[in-house]
Amino acid sequence: MRDEAALHTVSERHAQMVTRRVVIGAGLASASVACAAGFSAYSPTMGPGRKTGPIDALLIDETTEPPRQMAALVKEAGWTLPVVSIRLDASGQAGLARIFDTSHAIVGISSGATLFCLERIAWDHGFRLTGRSQRCANDPGDDTFQQDVTALLSGSHPPAASPSELTRAYRPSRADGMLHAWVMRKSASSYVCRRRRDV
Amino acid sequence: MKLPPNVSKADFAAALKAFAGIVGDQWLFTSDEDLELYRDSYSILWGETDERTASAAVAPDNADQVVELVKVANRYRIPIYPISAGKNLGYGGAAPALAGSVVLDLKRMNRIVEIDERNGYVVVEPGVSYFDLYNYIQEKGLKLWIDVPSPGWGSVLGNALDGGVGVTLAPYRNHFDAQCGIEVVLPNGRMMRTGMGALPGAKTWQQFRPGFGPRIDGLFKQSNYGVVTKMGFWLMPAPESFATGVVTVPMFRDIIPLVDIVGRLEQSKIVQGLWTLSSPTTGTPGFAAHEAGPSKPQDAKILGGVDMGKLEAAAKSSGLPFWACDFNFYGPKKLIKAQWDCVRDAMREIPGARFKLGEIRRLPLPPEELAKTRDLGPLGIPTLKTFDLGPMFSYEGEDVVGHIFFSPVIPRTGEAAIEAMEVFAAVARKYKLPCPPLQFPSSIFERAFLFAIGLPVTRSAVVNAKIRAIVSELVAISAERGWGEYRTAPAFYDLVMGVYSYNDNALRDFLETIKDAVDPNGIMSPGRYAIRSRHSRDADV
Repeated sequence: MRDEAALHTVSERHAQMVTRRVVIGAGLASASVACAAGFSAYSPTMGPGRKTGPIDALLIDETTEPPRQMAALVKEAGWTLPVVSIRLDASGQAGLARIFDTSHAIVGISSGATLFCLERIAWDHGFRLTGRSQRCANDPGDDTFQQDVTALLSGSHPPAASPSELTRAYRPSRADGMLHAWVMRKSASSYVCRRRRDV
Repeated sequence: MKLPPNVSKADFAAALKAFAGIVGDQWLFTSDEDLELYRDSYSILWGETDERTASAAVAPDNADQVVELVKVANRYRIPIYPISAGKNLGYGGAAPALAGSVVLDLKRMNRIVEIDERNGYVVVEPGVSYFDLYNYIQEKGLKLWIDVPSPGWGSVLGNALDGGVGVTLAPYRNHFDAQCGIEVVLPNGRMMRTGMGALPGAKTWQQFRPGFGPRIDGLFKQSNYGVVTKMGFWLMPAPESFATGVVTVPMFRDIIPLVDIVGRLEQSKIVQGLWTLSSPTTGTPGFAAHEAGPSKPQDAKILGGVDMGKLEAAAKSSGLPFWACDFNFYGPKKLIKAQWDCVRDAMREIPGARFKLGEIRRLPLPPEELAKTRDLGPLGIPTLKTFDLGPMFSYEGEDVVGHIFFSPVIPRTGEAAIEAMEVFAAVARKYKLPCPPLQFPSSIFERAFLFAIGLPVTRSAVVNAKIRAIVSELVAISAERGWGEYRTAPAFYDLVMGVYSYNDNALRDFLETIKDAVDPNGIMSPGRYAIRSRHSRDADV
């Protein structure tokens, strides 16, 4: 079970987030189950490298349960970053739009299905996927994924040579039991604003 | 730089410069990185020479800019391909029907132009998504509902033009049928309004669909006769209450009287909410095409071609009915009770039928109840939950990255439903498709069944070619039986239009005659739904 107090919906939380760095003072607790096929797969662009700029928010997929050992990391990140829950429903749309409008780089932990949706929403706000790692969601005792998230949060990974290659390289599924850590950065090029206009 | 077909580099450069002059440099997209976003994520031609990719994209802010862009396209003979949200994954996404077209990205045109609670309508631009409209209605506290497709991130206008459907009350489920009034920029750059909108200062544009003279709105559905820049839709008043009633019948062939009885109730407007078939015997849930999980033991039997008589006998001994039919009811509590009484009275003629009406819940549901509700579509609330289901993750050893739908329309009889289930199950067995072994008909359309069979899309050209061949086989098998598709992915436009061939392709010829008249330069979405202008047809010969 996750500690729901640790996660705040985008819509509820973001009003505070944009004005100050919110301290999220709770960890995640996840009942991990052994996964025979557990692994962590780096994209070629992952790992230590040059700094690529600060991260503005950590997004957590509310439909997944991050492994127990991620709790401390998320808690630690919460001291310096807004930690927000990804909600891909109607109530979450406005909050997501605000995050995209006010951020330049975001890190997330999600299923492939949620990443697929979020990536496409983010495109319209000028973001591109620039780094990604994956592992079996229920694999305990594997530190590599945690290391990946740490690298993404610290910005110590080089930008991808081709965002499109990253986009094509993952399965947009939740049923496959994989957990993805990723970073998206706002591109220098123009983007199609999605802020609704009422006449 | 990729060029549109039959356009010189100099002309293309001049056209792009003119486009940028209209919308501003920042709204013209030509880099590979930007154009990557206009690929169809679910393309069954991904990475192949036939994949339909854009040469550029341009994003206008308003209808006047659309007019100017269309004029430029005519001047330089540039094929343009309007998209709204570009999220109709499985049916083309943001990619053009003709490779090299310039995508006319209408996302920036996202104004809710007018909404009228008293008369229950809204006028929207192409960039307004279901999320946008739903949130607007909530923010304003309007007592209106929208009918949403799954998923809900698409454009209200674009979904209707593509023939999309939803899951609430019958008059609103077929989204194009719920439209009232279109504003369109014709291929010659002239703006036109349909129906009462042709009357300057009309007060009833969104209230009287027939207008005066021929009703031409349908020409803009699944076609390429213009850029629709505004569209009106009828909205349903927010209902007071909601309930689901379940009728179970014991035998496989009980579907025949069941469909007849429900049909009478629907034609009488007693049943107006969506009804959904599932099978406790086989363990197949409702909307099986979208929700099937990994194969169950019962599925394996069906995959092997089990005798339905034996299956239902085994189920009967364990007390399981073969069919369960969920009915959604909306309205005042006493109306729901009356509708349920009518359903029960009518269904009693099926031996062994059982009935259970769920709690009649007052609407709107409190947030904590909504959070627990698995399927929000019947409550008119858009979500992206459909992406969480994704049971197909491998086929032929390749990762499944998406799906395309084979979507035939079948007669509304139990006999036809049985025949279609058997025919499609045989194809699923033959190719070991990762879809439910027994597809159930959907009652989304009022007078015909729809089957929506999801087929896997991979990044393997070999596997995708196999899927294309399977679709061709399904289309041919269906056409032999008098069944045709209501919608298809761009790779199959010509294939499907080819079966609508009555009297030596009289329909296609008529559509192309119109095309030649309204778009002589063939600049508007060439090839969309297999409609081409004369010079494109000549080039194909």
